[in-house]
Amino acid sequence: MSAVKTFPRRAASSPALPTLFLLAATLATVLLAVGLGSVPISPADTLKAIGHGLSGAELSGNDVIVWQLRLPRVALGWLVGAALGVSGGAFQGVFRNPLADPYLMGVASGAGLGATLVIALGLATLWLPLFALTGAMLSVFTALLIAREGNRLPPARLILAGVVVGSILTAFTTYLLLQNADRIRQVFAFTLGNLAFAGWPQVGRLLPYVLIGGGALLLLARALNTLQLGDLTARSLGLPVERLRLLVIVAASLCTAGAVSYAGIIGFIGLVTPHLVRRLWGADHRILLPISAIAGGTLLVLSDLLARTLTRPAELPVGVVTTLLGGPFFLYLLRRQKT
Amino acid sequence: MYKLMFLSAALLTTAAHATAYPLTLTDDTGRKVTLKAEPLRIVSFLPSNTETICAIGGCDKLVGVDEYSDFPASVTRLPKVGNLYQPNIEAVVALKPDLVIVSKYGDLTAPLTNAGINVLAVNPETYEDVFSKTQLLGKIINRQAQATALVTQMRRDIARVEILAKNAVKKPTAYYEIDPTPYTVGPNSFVGVLLSKAGGANIIPAALGDFPKISPELVVKSAPQLIFGVDLATAKARPGWNTIPAVKSGRVIKDDALDHILSRPGPRLPQAFLGLAKLVHPELFK
Repeated sequence: MSAVKTFPRRAASSPALPTLFLLAATLATVLLAVGLGSVPISPADTLKAIGHGLSGAELSGNDVIVWQLRLPRVALGWLVGAALGVSGGAFQGVFRNPLADPYLMGVASGAGLGATLVIALGLATLWLPLFALTGAMLSVFTALLIAREGNRLPPARLILAGVVVGSILTAFTTYLLLQNADRIRQVFAFTLGNLAFAGWPQVGRLLPYVLIGGGALLLLARALNTLQLGDLTARSLGLPVERLRLLVIVAASLCTAGAVSYAGIIGFIGLVTPHLVRRLWGADHRILLPISAIAGGTLLVLSDLLARTLTRPAELPVGVVTTLLGGPFFLYLLRRQKT
Repeated sequence: MYKLMFLSAALLTTAAHATAYPLTLTDDTGRKVTLKAEPLRIVSFLPSNTETICAIGGCDKLVGVDEYSDFPASVTRLPKVGNLYQPNIEAVVALKPDLVIVSKYGDLTAPLTNAGINVLAVNPETYEDVFSKTQLLGKIINRQAQATALVTQMRRDIARVEILAKNAVKKPTAYYEIDPTPYTVGPNSFVGVLLSKAGGANIIPAALGDFPKISPELVVKSAPQLIFGVDLATAKARPGWNTIPAVKSGRVIKDDALDHILSRPGPRLPQAFLGLAKLVHPELFK
């Protein structure tokens, strides 16, 4: 199968160096993201605020901004980026298709419809994550049901079903939007991603999705490696190909749906991160998936840092930043890739 | 000084004369439009224009309105012609209007002019627009004296409240949220101008523009004493917001009825302004 070729099994000459660099970049990004924001706060005060927050002492002045706004925003951003990175890597692996991204099975359009319903019906925004999550998972299961062929889940049918279910849901969303033109911007903000009101409770609620979904994907990494040999070979090696595909799709969608319901639809992280990681670390999913999680988290925290500081104290939508950074970068990778 | 203003307004009223047709003017999309005679069958696609036309005595000229026009009550009985973005062009044509008043948004001009119907875009957006567009509509429908009288009345009603607010000892700092992205209003926007006239100090610097998307950090840091457009439960649930004075004192106000008239740059502006001023300075209106 020609798609296998796009995943060269070439081991990077020295994966230790890029790993070291990634960890340093992660640390630096997180420190900068906590230290910088629309309100200027000195590093000393930032450290003091974290001390107060950790010790449970009374928060005063800038403590609140550091401990209750910035830190959880960085934490949520990192979790969301990690979820998108690991799901993107898993989707590209399970479909053996470098164009796959976490939204392939209609997660984004399902979540978008859920969010739009909340906004159009004028429900409290507290309901938004639940509706978005439900919409996302429903659209994935619909696509899975439609694509099923007896006991089999052929990749091409899955992709088509996902794309078409997504288009149908988007049509509903667009219709609802036109009926509620005065609330259009709120939905628009969701579709561009938004971390503005990230707090510790949201971090706590998203964590299980990422741990369970991401953990499951890491456990399936070896099987994903075998799947790269093609369905036939994998089956002859005793791999339950259809069950693996179903598990990976459900786990990655759960991870993505959780992320989308708390942060909106953030583009390009899930597509670009695995490509970048594959270039430097190779295509072994046991390494690709965890590194994609770390890199995805770091890239999103970095994008959000730019989103909230470039025009401060105003903010850019984080999805615009990820796309403006990710899009050209992806094109660069594409140009350099030899087929 | 206000006496002088009333005097000059009164002079203007007597000086106002009937509109001479054919009338050629440039509308808010930059198109040159000629009205051959006084319009008698008007379709309005903007709720604020509908309100203004009625307030200057042109209600009987309206033969159709968009679906959001709901004031005064008499317009709710008129045929509905969709909205700016989903217009029912056939319904408009069937009403045989001699003028359709649209906004500069939406793409109604081409299909309607192709159907041989005269279209004019009138778009009140800023605070001063409310008055100038009222005068303009008065000229268009030959109700100039009424338009001038309305503008005088509106300015007088606003001035009464404004003077009270101006003399207030304390100006509470205020944050006005239009949607929970969060988008807010700058001091030069329509609502921003009303907020400062009502004696509130907007926490948003003018440099950010009229409708900026801002960082919640800014709100926490600015510690406003008043928050509009958010309900108290939502504000309390936001990270760090329970330290904001407005949230602590419970002065977090979401008044849908007030927001509704505030979103209409039309003749109910003084009413909306009074409502806002009462919320900013309840102590002045006991």
